[in-house]
This record gives sequence, C-alpha cells and structure tokens, in this order.
Amino acid sequence: MIILLISIILFVFSSLAQILFKEKSKAITFTLFSGLATVLGLIPTTIALFQNKTFFKTVNFNGLIGNVNFVLDPLSAFFVLIILVISFLAIVYSRKYFEQYLQLHKKDLSAHYFFLGLFIPSMILVVTVQNILFFLISWEIMSLSSFFLLLFDNEKKEVRQTAINYLITMQIGVIFLFIGFILLTLSTNSLDFASFQGHITNTIFISLLIGFGIKAGFVPFHTWLPKAHPIAPSHISAVMSGVMIKAGIYGILRLLTFIEVPSLFLSYLVLFIGLASAFFGILYAITQRDYKRMLAYSSIENIGLIIISLGVAMLGLSYNNSLMAGLGFLGVFAHILNHSIFKSLLFFDAGSVLSKVHTTDCEQLGGLIKSMPYTASLFLFGSLAISALPPFNGFISEFFIYLAMLNGISTNNHFLFPVLIIAIGVLAFVGAMVLIAFTNIFSSIFLGTSRSEKASNIEKDSPKSMLIPICILVMFSLLIGLFPQYFMQVAINPANSLLPAPLIFPAQILLNISIFNVVLVITIVAILILRKVLLKNKTIAVHKTWACGYDKINSKMQYSNYSFSRPFLGFLTPFFIRELDFKGIKDLFPKATHFKSKTIDIFEYYLIRPVINFDKFIIQKFYWVQSGNVQKYLLYGLIFLLLVIIWVVKK
Amino acid sequence: MMRFLLLLILPFLFTGLINKTKALISGRKGAPIFQPYFDFIKLLKKGIVISETTSSIFQIAPSINLACTTLAGLLLCVFHFEGDFILFAYILALGKFFIIIAAMDTGSSFEGMGASREVSYTSLVEPAFFIMISSICAIGHIYSFESLYKILSFSHMAWSLIVILSVIALFLMILIEGSRIPVDDPTTHLELTMIHEVMVLDNSGVDLGFILYSNALKMLLFTTLITSILTPHSLLGYLIVLFIIAVLIGIIESVTARLRLTHIIEYTFVLVTIALIIMALTLLTIYGGMI
Repeated sequence: MIILLISIILFVFSSLAQILFKEKSKAITFTLFSGLATVLGLIPTTIALFQNKTFFKTVNFNGLIGNVNFVLDPLSAFFVLIILVISFLAIVYSRKYFEQYLQLHKKDLSAHYFFLGLFIPSMILVVTVQNILFFLISWEIMSLSSFFLLLFDNEKKEVRQTAINYLITMQIGVIFLFIGFILLTLSTNSLDFASFQGHITNTIFISLLIGFGIKAGFVPFHTWLPKAHPIAPSHISAVMSGVMIKAGIYGILRLLTFIEVPSLFLSYLVLFIGLASAFFGILYAITQRDYKRMLAYSSIENIGLIIISLGVAMLGLSYNNSLMAGLGFLGVFAHILNHSIFKSLLFFDAGSVLSKVHTTDCEQLGGLIKSMPYTASLFLFGSLAISALPPFNGFISEFFIYLAMLNGISTNNHFLFPVLIIAIGVLAFVGAMVLIAFTNIFSSIFLGTSRSEKASNIEKDSPKSMLIPICILVMFSLLIGLFPQYFMQVAINPANSLLPAPLIFPAQILLNISIFNVVLVITIVAILILRKVLLKNKTIAVHKTWACGYDKINSKMQYSNYSFSRPFLGFLTPFFIRELDFKGIKDLFPKATHFKSKTIDIFEYYLIRPVINFDKFIIQKFYWVQSGNVQKYLLYGLIFLLLVIIWVVKK
Repeated sequence: MMRFLLLLILPFLFTGLINKTKALISGRKGAPIFQPYFDFIKLLKKGIVISETTSSIFQIAPSINLACTTLAGLLLCVFHFEGDFILFAYILALGKFFIIIAAMDTGSSFEGMGASREVSYTSLVEPAFFIMISSICAIGHIYSFESLYKILSFSHMAWSLIVILSVIALFLMILIEGSRIPVDDPTTHLELTMIHEVMVLDNSGVDLGFILYSNALKMLLFTTLITSILTPHSLLGYLIVLFIIAVLIGIIESVTARLRLTHIIEYTFVLVTIALIIMALTLLTIYGGMI
C-alpha cells in the first residue's frame, strides 16, 4: 500500500515538476516520471489482484476527521490496474500527438500535463480511499482536473461551452452523492466505509446510483458524454472513456459489497437501466456522423452491457442463484477490462486519423486505408473486438453475460424467465446494431474513395510512438480472445469479493472457446493460403469498380455514413428525433439546394431540456435582483446584516 | 462427424435441387442438379478481376467468410458445449462483418446499397434465434445445441407446437439469411432486388466461388438445425428432410413474388413474433403444468 501511495505522490510530483522543464522536454519527462510511477504502482496492484491479498494503510488526521483508511483489495486493485496501464499508454501516445498538433497551433503544454498528473492519482485515490470525505474530495479533484483537460482547445467557444456543461453535470452528480452519503452517515454516525454494512437502504442506493450513474454515463444521465468526447484531445477521450467512467461503476460495485442480498426491485431496476443504456447508446451511435461522438455513444452502450451484467448478477444474489451471480460479476469485470482495452484503442486510433485529417466528420473522409494502412487495420481490429466478434476479447465478456443469463433461466421463477429471455433478445439485437455501427464507421472513414480534399492529401501514416500503444492494446485484445482461460483469471478475485461463496473459475468453457478461436484463426490462414495457391499463375486484372455500365463514377456516388444507416434506422424512428432541412429538387431547371440532418437525443429533448427551461423560467423572475446598481447591492448587504443581527439578538 | 462431412459436401446439391425444382415448375428442363458444382470448379480455376478502389480487405473477406461459415458448421455438428449457439451466431456475424466491409471497399453505390440493406434486414434474425434457442434450452437446462437433439419431441401437445413453430422460424431464417424469395431474389441483382446479390457484384473467380459456397452452406446450416429437431439421429431422415426443404424453397420461389423492400422488415418481425410465442409456450410448459 505504501508503494502505491508513493506512486500517487510521484504522479503529483511529476505534474508539479512540469513548471521546471523546458517546453520541448515536458512530454518526455512526464512520460518518464509517470512510467516510473506506473511500474511502482503495478507491483502492489498485481499482488493484491492475483494473490487475493488486501493491503491496508491507515492515516491519522488528528482531530479533524480521525483515521482515514486506504485499502487495496482485489476490487480496488482491478481498477487501479486499468487506470495505471491505460493512462500510461495514453501518456506515451500523447507526445507525438501533441507534436503534430503544435505544428498547427501554438500552445503551452504544462497546464495539460499538470492536470493529467493530478487526474491519474485522483482516480487511484477514488478507488482506494475508504472514507466518505476523502472519497468526495478525490472525486471532485477527478472531475475538476478532467474538466481542465477537456479545456485544451479553450480558444474555441464550443469547447468552453461543452466543458462547462460537463462540469455542471458532474456537480449535479455530486449533489446526489452528497444526499446518499449524508443519509448514510446519519444512520451510521461514521465516515468510514467499513461501517456501512447493512445500512444501505433503497433510497440511499438509488441516490448514489444516480450520482455514480452520471459519472458512468448511463441512460438517461449520459448527455454529457457524447458532447465531451469530441472536443477532448484523443488520449484524454481514451482515458475518460476507457477508465474514468468506470469510476462510477466502481462506486456502485463498492456499494454492493455492503449489501448482503439486494432487493428484487433494485436488481430489476439495474437490469432495466442496463438494457436501456445498451439499446439507446448504440442506436444513437448509429445515427452519428462524427466518429468521436459515435465512439462516445458506443461507450454508453458498453456501460449498458456492464450494467446489464451487474443487474443479472444482482438478480442472481436476490434469487439465491450463485452460479448466475458469479458469472454475472465475472461478466462485469471482464467487460470493464475489455471495454477499457478496445475503447482506448479506438480513441487512440481516432486520434491518429484526426491528427491527419483535422476533421471528425465521417462524411468528409473515405479511402484512408490506402494512405494510413496501419491505422486502418488497427481500427479494424478494434471494431471487431468491440462488435464482440471472435477471436477478440469483446466476445469473451459478452459470452459471460449470456452465460449468466442462461444460467439464470433455470432459476425456478416464472417472472425471471421471460425477463431474462427478452433480455437475451435485446442483447442480441444490440449486438447486431453494434455490427451496423462499426461496419458503417469503419467503411466511411477508411474504405472507398475519399470524399474531400482533407482525406486525399495524406502522405504517410501516423508516427510509430502513436501506433505502438495501439498495437499493444490490439495484442492484449487478441490474446485475451485467444486464451481467455488464462487472462480472465484477472476477473475472478474481484468477482469473488462481491460473492457470498467463491465462484469456481469456469475454465472448461473458456478452454472450449479458446480452442475454437485458435482453430478459427488457423482455418482463416489456411483458406487464405488455399486462395493464394488457387490464384497462382492466374491473371489478377485491375479495373474500375463495376457500376452497371456507367463510366463516370465519382466519390460522391458512394454510399455515405448517412445512407448506410438509413434503411435500418427507418424502422426505429420512434426512438430518436431527426430534424431534416431539405427543400427538395423542384422545377425543370432545379436551383442549388441543400440537405441537412440533425439527430436529437430524445432524453435531452424530453428530459433535460424541460428541466432547463423550467429553471430559466424561474430564474428569469429574479433578474431584477441583479440590476448592476451598486447602491442596490449595498442595500442588500445592509438588509442581510440587519437580519443577522435580529437573528443573533433573538437567540 | 458424418453430418459435418455431409454439410461440407452438400451445399451445392441443395441449391441445385432448388434450381431444378424451379425449372420443372416453370416448365423448363433446367440445368442438371450438379450444375452448381461445375460452376464452382470453373470459378476456382479462373483468375480474378479486382477494382482499383479496393484494398486488401476486398480480397481477404470471402476467405474469412468461408472459414467462419465452415466453423459454424463444425460447431453445429461436432463441437458441443455450454453456450455454443452464442458462438455460432457470433461467428456467422464475423463472416458477415467482412462481407459488408468488402462491399463498402469497392466504393460502389450499388454495393453500398446491398450491404446496408443486408445488414438491416438480417439484424432481427439473431435476436429471434437467441430467444428461440434459449427458450428451448430452458426445458432441459442444457444450454447448447444438444438440447435440440435431446429434448424436443412430439410427445406432448405443447411440445409438438414448439417443434412446429421452431421449424417454421428456422425455415424463415433460411429464407432471410440465404437471401431467397420473398426477401431477396438470388437470380438477379437488378435495382429492385439489390440486397445480397448486388453486394458481391465486384467479386469474381475464386472469391465469387467462396461466396457462393458460403451462402449455400449458410442455408444448409439452418436446414441442419431443422433436421436436428425433426430427425435427430437418422442420417437417412437428414437427407430426406433436406430434400423436402430444398424442394419447398423451390416451390415458394416459383409461386410467390418478392416482397416490396419496405415490407421486408415486417416480414422479419414475424420471425421475432414466432420466437416470442415459442418463449410463451415454454413458459406455459414449465410453469403452467402443460406437460
């Protein structure tokens, strides 16, 4: 534990030390320091995680709040592992990413690295500290430092607006956390987490669920996510999406350790939230043409999958079906790990595209696979992994979720049965939608011919130091997919810490999948070799794409991102609002016309907007208070003082 | 194992039978039943023409699709374990993923259209399939394809209903996944039927052969599922059911017209509805004491 604390201090130190270094060497020194901190931090983490150990450290703050416990148990260690690894890769990636960026814009990096150096340890503190006050403080540092990281492009008005939106949303989340924690301390009279056992009522749980849910970004509290990601530098998007939103999940999981048997109502609620998040997340991902926004929506979907798995696990606890609960929790941890791998991968890769084309609009891209072959193939692997296709890691965690549900079916309960089967159906439908979303995004960025100048003038692929972190993640993703029986051991200890009785690791099933995935890879290679043999000494002619005899095809005729998703979205129209601005083509000699479409999130439209409008309406009534007249303000002060004096005298 | 070998050999016989039936009904003599095999061999001997727009994805996709479909067959016939049907569906999805991006790789509006439609219209097959199989599995608590072989029978009223409905659902899946009438017309790639056929417009030679084979094999996979429900143990029964289904598809293609594009999605909803009915029936069977 001491080592982890040293690692945290080292992170903070490296962030402060940024001021001393020269502009040029900032990135590299920060990488070195944080690398050291990461290695240090990984030592206790891996021990705690794999050997199922718990490290304690009690720090005494005399008088102020008494003892504060820091804990590194398998549950915390699991999150610390993800935080350290992904953040370090992000830091390595950031150096060249900024180098390219700085060629276009003059910018000082010290603020960025300063806040990054606060952001990472604050996340580690969030998952290790066991005291409400310190938890909230680190939670706030996490929110604030990520707010400043978002503000990187602060000269743009849009960026400032979005960052403020993010900050406000996070503060609303904290209000719910406060409510929950205040209720908790009222009933336990203690700030220490250990005393919560058995004190979590439904009200407290829901209040905290909302608070954590706003950070995790599940429906309907997700609206900040798709706004924040497109404006953040890509490695920050990767860390936020891959790691930070998991802090919300951590909160919920930590909460569950204090509940012996969750009530049926809560379990079904969590399952339902998960299903809604998965469905709406991926639906909106399909409607997006901005690839970073699309990836953000896909994060909501993946958080949904994690929550589904959590709901299934809670149902398993509620119905006393230990296998279902065990597999459910295994699914939760497996998917947290897998999502942080492939989502960071995709965001890094998106950043690699962005640093070349300087636009996030898919409709202006196309054909990048020729100029950026490495970026393209890495993105392809990421898409396969996130679409849960074998032999990649995404499949493994989704398989756990399905398995947990299937085992739940055999619980002898006539209400659970249809709920789970329909949940399986929804999950399968979500799977099909992910396929649509990612075939769409991949083909509109990388395949076909380029749709604008921006995409056609790329000379070479991104530099190695940007691609290597992505390669490492792809390798993990493939290895976990091919040999889940070894790698998924990571998830067993944290899952057991949430279970009444330890689960036996389902090694046999994973071994089956592993064999099958290896066979799959071999078969693919074999068939490709067969094809090569068959094509030996045959002519391979290269011609134009066949357009049924038409000769003058151009890139505008390709199926675009919008048109690809159009037939599918056609029958899901009740679930989203699409504003079209199209006058149509009229007359014999048509004039120039335009087409504009905008997808509006129904939760934002029906849930958030009315609240804001109501708020505005109320606040408008009090505009007169703030007139700008100094005398008036002095009067307010006087009235206030008088009231205070009266109150004091009366007492 | 025997079934798996048959599965690998028979796909083109299946399409040959369909074509022969269609020819006979329309009063033609028709090509020999083994014609698809001759076509396939010829295609394997040819060189290929590729589009200048394409990348290597276009060239590897048909092979990957073939590998996936074949291994899905292996999963269906030989390799059973808990949750195998999930892997089955996802492995078919992997093949589909590659065929779709290969179509998009050509930059052709036609192929984009085909890919977009194919992915939209088949999106409901997977949910229906999962709802159906997991309901059936729930009866015997065996969560793999084995339950199809072991559990279902005509011994009870409710069970025979489940069997019949499952067979119908699987038959609809053959039509949708195999791109047959009334969802898609396999004989043309004209504008009105631009779904599967148009998606593979630019493929030629070996690649086209692989695609044709995978597609026929995919139909046969769902047919094998039907046979494993109806005649789980006899090989002769397997062949007979296979023959009947091929002829049935031929008859349907001769007497019905293709659906309007806007109606196809409604057609696939029928599939989901049947799956939900199967779920309701199993619910009644298990908890309503209908056994």
